Amino acid sequence: MSEYRILGRNPAQILQKIKESLDQLNEKMEVMIEIQKHNQKEGESIPDVLDVMTLLSLPDHLRKTAVTISRLDQATAEEVAEQTKRARAVESGYLNQLVMMGYLKKERRGRKAYFYIEK
Amino acid sequence: MSPMGKIVAFHSYKGGTGKTLLSVNLAATYSNRGKKVCLFDLDFRAPSLQAALKIKDNEHWLNDYLNGVCDVKKVLIDISRGHVRQGELWIGLANPSTEAIRDMSGKDRKWEMKALGRLLSLKDSFLNEMEFDYLIWDTSPGLQYSSINAIVSADVALVVATIDTSDIEGTRRMTHELYDLFEKKTGILMNKVPAEIISTKTGKGKMRKQFEATHGLPILEIVPCFCDILRAGGTYIFTQEKPEHPFTKIVDTIATKIERF
Repeated sequence: MSEYRILGRNPAQILQKIKESLDQLNEKMEVMIEIQKHNQKEGESIPDVLDVMTLLSLPDHLRKTAVTISRLDQATAEEVAEQTKRARAVESGYLNQLVMMGYLKKERRGRKAYFYIEK
Repeated sequence: MSPMGKIVAFHSYKGGTGKTLLSVNLAATYSNRGKKVCLFDLDFRAPSLQAALKIKDNEHWLNDYLNGVCDVKKVLIDISRGHVRQGELWIGLANPSTEAIRDMSGKDRKWEMKALGRLLSLKDSFLNEMEFDYLIWDTSPGLQYSSINAIVSADVALVVATIDTSDIEGTRRMTHELYDLFEKKTGILMNKVPAEIISTKTGKGKMRKQFEATHGLPILEIVPCFCDILRAGGTYIFTQEKPEHPFTKIVDTIATKIERF
């Protein structure tokens, strides 16, 4: 309602207000672009690659799961559990942790979830 | 159903400890026991198997397999005839050209990750599909991508060490900081040990205990330094040429211990 009153009183003031708002928006956009660029650079310097050096840095329980997925190429939690001789629910938890850490990808096909390394 | 075979990786902290000589002769020993064996040269920095076994005109290399250029079956060469009395002996070679060595040393982490996947997949293709009994890998010394990839993919790791102080310390650190993390079945082979130190049973037993205490790992065998082997320059399969030589008998003992490992 206040805008209408301003509009009624002084169009020049309205134009000034629009200009100020656009300037503010522009500033915010520039900051966002800078943050995005910075994040991309950071992502490039620390890639989420599941190589042997990464495997060495993982905790023991996750390392076993990660090596198994490297060997099987892609697998369900049940298939990994068959290899590691651990419970399916346990492997499911570890695989999802590796997904959250960015080392694995997860894809649903029907009722099954497949885990794999993006190559 | 016969039990599935094994992948055995030969590794060392330092170079020149005798990995190639031992791996070639172990492969020949298993073949002579009637087994189907494949020996891989995974030392991409200093390939030596082609020269050691005098193989000419090779077309496909393990480099090509790891680069995803060809199937691993194309890399295999059957050298059974003329090299072993029975069984089968196959090999896969690393490309010894300077260009290939340079190419392999410049690989990035993503490539190494794919190479690890390809090495891990060999367990199924070789031991299940192609029914090999043993896949023996001769790796690069020290801690580098190609050798760690090989160790991670193997069932048994054999570390060849000498009595050199720096080698003993480096081997100890390497096995504890790397092998333990991957829960590998590991054995140490002490090689090139001066014969006078282990000439008596007591001396050999004392030395074995000492090394086992240092490494915290089983010493599979203590191999004396044989001058005639050094003179031969590692250019032939010693166990085949000289079946009565003490070295042949030692390799035979190592083969039996790995079978039970």
